[in-house]
Amino acid sequence: MSRIGVFVCHCGENISRTVDVERVAKEAGDIPGVAFSCDYKYMCSDPGQNLLKKAVADNNLDGVLVAACSPRMHEKTFRKAASAAGLNPYLCEMGNIREHCSWVHEDREEATAKASDIVKLMVERVKKGKSLAPITVPVTKKALVIGGGIAGIQAALDIADAGHQVVMVEREPSIGGHMAQLSETFPTLDCSQCIMTPKMVDVANHPNITLYTFAEIEKVEGYIGNFQVTVRKKARSVDESKCTGCGVCMTKCPKKKIPNEFDQGHGMRTAIYVPFPQAVPNTPVIDRQNCTMFQSGKCGVCQKVCGPGAVDFEQQDTLIVEPVGAIVVATGFKLYSIERQPEDSPIQGYGEFGYGTIPDIIDGMTFERLASASGPTGGKILRPSDGKEPKQVVFIQCVGSRAREKGISYCSKVCCMYTAKHTMLYHHKVHDGQAYVFYMDARTPGKGYDEFWRRAVEEEEAVYIRGMVSRMYQRGDKIVVMGSDTLVGVQVEIEADLVVMATAVQAQDGADLLAQKLGISYDKYNFYSEAHAKLKPVECATAGIYLAGACQGPKDIPDTVSQASAAAAKVMTLFAKDQLERDPVVAKVNEKYCVGCLACKKVCPYGAVEEREIRDRQGNLVKVVASVNPGVCGGCGTCQATCPSKSVELDGYTDEQIMAMIEAL
Amino acid sequence: MNAKAEKIRVASIDPSYYQAVTDAIRTEAVKLLSEEAVVAVVGYLPGRRIGTAVPGLVTTPEQAQQLIFSPACVNNLSLYLTKAKKGVLKKGKVAIIAKGCDLRALAGLMGESQVKKEDIYTIGIACAGVFGANSDRKGGLTEASIARKCRECTVHQPEGVDLLVGTLPELPQLTALEAQELARLEALTPEERWAYWKEQFSKCIRCLACRQVCPFCYCEQCLCDKNRPQALESSPRPAGNTAWHIVRAMHLAGRCGGCAECERVCPMDIPLNLLNRRMAMELKELYDYEASMVPQEKGPLTRYQEDDDQSFIK
Amino acid sequence: MHAEKLQHDFEPKIVAFVCTWCTYAGADLAGTSRMQYPANVRVLKFPCTGRIDPVFILRAFQKGADGVLVSGCHPGDCHYMAGNFHARRRFAAFRALLGFVGVDLERLQFSWVSAAEGGKWVEVVTELTEKVRAMGPMKEFKALEDEEQWSGALNTPELREAFESIT
Repeated sequence: MSRIGVFVCHCGENISRTVDVERVAKEAGDIPGVAFSCDYKYMCSDPGQNLLKKAVADNNLDGVLVAACSPRMHEKTFRKAASAAGLNPYLCEMGNIREHCSWVHEDREEATAKASDIVKLMVERVKKGKSLAPITVPVTKKALVIGGGIAGIQAALDIADAGHQVVMVEREPSIGGHMAQLSETFPTLDCSQCIMTPKMVDVANHPNITLYTFAEIEKVEGYIGNFQVTVRKKARSVDESKCTGCGVCMTKCPKKKIPNEFDQGHGMRTAIYVPFPQAVPNTPVIDRQNCTMFQSGKCGVCQKVCGPGAVDFEQQDTLIVEPVGAIVVATGFKLYSIERQPEDSPIQGYGEFGYGTIPDIIDGMTFERLASASGPTGGKILRPSDGKEPKQVVFIQCVGSRAREKGISYCSKVCCMYTAKHTMLYHHKVHDGQAYVFYMDARTPGKGYDEFWRRAVEEEEAVYIRGMVSRMYQRGDKIVVMGSDTLVGVQVEIEADLVVMATAVQAQDGADLLAQKLGISYDKYNFYSEAHAKLKPVECATAGIYLAGACQGPKDIPDTVSQASAAAAKVMTLFAKDQLERDPVVAKVNEKYCVGCLACKKVCPYGAVEEREIRDRQGNLVKVVASVNPGVCGGCGTCQATCPSKSVELDGYTDEQIMAMIEAL
Repeated sequence: MNAKAEKIRVASIDPSYYQAVTDAIRTEAVKLLSEEAVVAVVGYLPGRRIGTAVPGLVTTPEQAQQLIFSPACVNNLSLYLTKAKKGVLKKGKVAIIAKGCDLRALAGLMGESQVKKEDIYTIGIACAGVFGANSDRKGGLTEASIARKCRECTVHQPEGVDLLVGTLPELPQLTALEAQELARLEALTPEERWAYWKEQFSKCIRCLACRQVCPFCYCEQCLCDKNRPQALESSPRPAGNTAWHIVRAMHLAGRCGGCAECERVCPMDIPLNLLNRRMAMELKELYDYEASMVPQEKGPLTRYQEDDDQSFIK
Repeated sequence: MHAEKLQHDFEPKIVAFVCTWCTYAGADLAGTSRMQYPANVRVLKFPCTGRIDPVFILRAFQKGADGVLVSGCHPGDCHYMAGNFHARRRFAAFRALLGFVGVDLERLQFSWVSAAEGGKWVEVVTELTEKVRAMGPMKEFKALEDEEQWSGALNTPELREAFESIT
């Protein structure tokens, strides 16, 4: 027989005004298994807590029910008191007779009866309760940062500066990401590369950072504090340990006419190349699809000219396993393509803009490269088709963004600002040129942003036309831009030399695949989902994985850097302790009865359920069962409600406890 | 429809159809066993009484010559692959004879990790239908003797099998009695439906044959046998019976392949398949889910969509 | 200034299965806001609607509940991300099943009540209580509980014959 103590609180008069607390305490004393019951003015006060502690000791209680306010208010208080009295804290429960009873009912008789019922139910719950101990999980104090753009770089540097090991994985041959491609940045117009490249070098030189470029995440196993990450280092065909970065191979490579991705295809590179001169690491990579040696077996010039003998045509992909305790995902974004898309694509492209076939209709990133001093035109604004300086440039905002019919309903956040910046850069470089901007709204929240935008309009002479462009087509060497000015209410037709579209920011290619490897959730646009939009904007719902930058949603550089530092801070918080303590309200599998239908695994929102093989002593497979990783389990109990044989059970909310409460109704 | 005309039309199914299926099964079984491609074939053997059939496991080419297929081959053999039953799979790869409805159960078992596709070799039968329980089998398969589930079968022709045997004879259109009965019950008031099911469930003697014969009831411990806590009263009283059948239907929702074996074996003739059919209809309507002859990764109740219907939720 | 208390012939027993993060907190808010609602409801707290097994609802009816409320977080608000999505499907199916065996679905209410919706909690509980009060007691399951003996009608000649040969 249980020995439960029931403590009924008056809460001053908050409860006792409508509930006859003495009667509730007296009736509680008659419940089988209740060894002690009393009422008290303020249970949460020190004397109240001491009353509880003393009663536990004097009456040898094995469970405690405090009928008082909501457990959301004082559960911790009383569990702590119970714990101090030598009881397991999870054997202390609260009956909510204030918020759920005395405050919401006026009739004393009814409220008292209800309070007694609440006590009766909760006593049954305490009777069936189990002692639980917090779950401790060891923490590997090494972080993985996926993505080497500004978000990843910032997060990696912060974590590494705190003294922890960091592994950075970048898909491209160099870190730097999109920020390295930008010319100048809003709202200060400082040169992007000038502020970016030193940080890239810091990453490369940091003793705590291991950098894998031209590498991708192959597999992620484990859970918070204990991930095992397999990194596929793609064959670079150049031995990084030997290469000095002298660049002779690139100057001698006979294949020189390959469009350079870094310049949005507008500059040329060789088959053995670094994406841009300030690349980190400054180790070339051979583009095997375009290399004559790989395609026809003849050439090998780079190998012949390489002094240190670093070129290795035989190099293979290598797999590296890294144990890490936390993961920061910073995979960034890509831009919407207006080209014709496959039928099944959620985005449709822009037929009315010629599906990307008109050479002088470019996107914002291409304009960045044209405006960049290190770009294909050396910083001169020259249009792609004939290299002439455009005198009339039309900028179009919200291409793809905020256009549900084109597949994307969100705002890309950065376009208003960078378009304003583009008009300024253009005006600075082509003094007699005229910039027009078609816009829906100018959205400029941010420090110094509106001032910047106003400068573009008021001082830099950009003509802003509120309205959308309906059609663009080539006429001679001009592009006819047809749109409407909705403020004036007229149709507008502009003969432009160059059109720059602020196309929507989208999640990176393969973002969904990476999410599946990581076991994190993503929205319908493949942006990664944070655990809580307001209060957990950096954490993933999957414990130990954090988000930084545009992989979560469109963001500008300051926001990205802030979030990256926030993610780093979260990682450092995790790394501050050797052991991670978790609430023991987690699911456990009864392996004796589990038949391994894995319905629990299918519904688990956390991916906490794994398959486990049970073998006999000879090593023969007896059966496969589900197994819950307590480090990952969030404690929702969806598994248990789904399990047909109830072979998985959520501690703290067991069927026995719930059924006992229902029986007591 | 004129019952006599029906009988003639159904009986006019060429008996050579059954012979051809039987021959094809035997040939394949002999081949598989003699080549040691499988260690056993789960199929049907003749029963002791003429015109009957029993499930059987054959392990030699000689025994395989005994395999048959006839309208008396009612059993869903996939039952014998689940661990709670015979556990034949442990010995090696097994071939299994499956009608369309059995195949749906088999696919379901694969989806629930109970059977591995690579561990079995499925011989699918283009099935014209089988006898109903308690039917008069003398006149062969007729409208009077055909099982109720077969009258509205949509899976005569198996899919995704390793070998398909039999050519489907021309099948007569039969009235969908089960669908009619479902519609009749749906049209009743809740009180009338409660009265109907109360009557039906009160017949239950809790022999649990429905559970034993169900391919999906492979749990090592059934909820109804559990006593800490006891979720379902175990004695055959009306309250426990009702709870049992409700819980069973709920556990099968989104999984049941519609073989109606539960209904066939029920000694008290409780129309159990109506419950399963009703749930299948609901899940089809709500989530466009149907039990399929090919394995599906998740059932309708182990996945969700953010925009699922919630018109019933305030 | 209390409104005059109405006396009812029948006070239904309402059981509410709620998730701790949204609806339980919403009910707390109703309390801190001193909203008033009928005292018939007994609340059972779960971590998530995903934890709520249909068997619990069945058992509650068997144990004398006249009405059952299941309430959790709005879609997308689930503390556990997807628990309420799974629950939504599960309860859609279970509701259909109960309806098919003849349970009056007016007695079973599902709702989303967020931690900010104290008013909605009051509204949902009040409405269900009043509806069930007007419907009268849930007799069906109680009647089954009261039937001690196997009540099987001996409706086939064979059975009747067998039965009579024993007695």
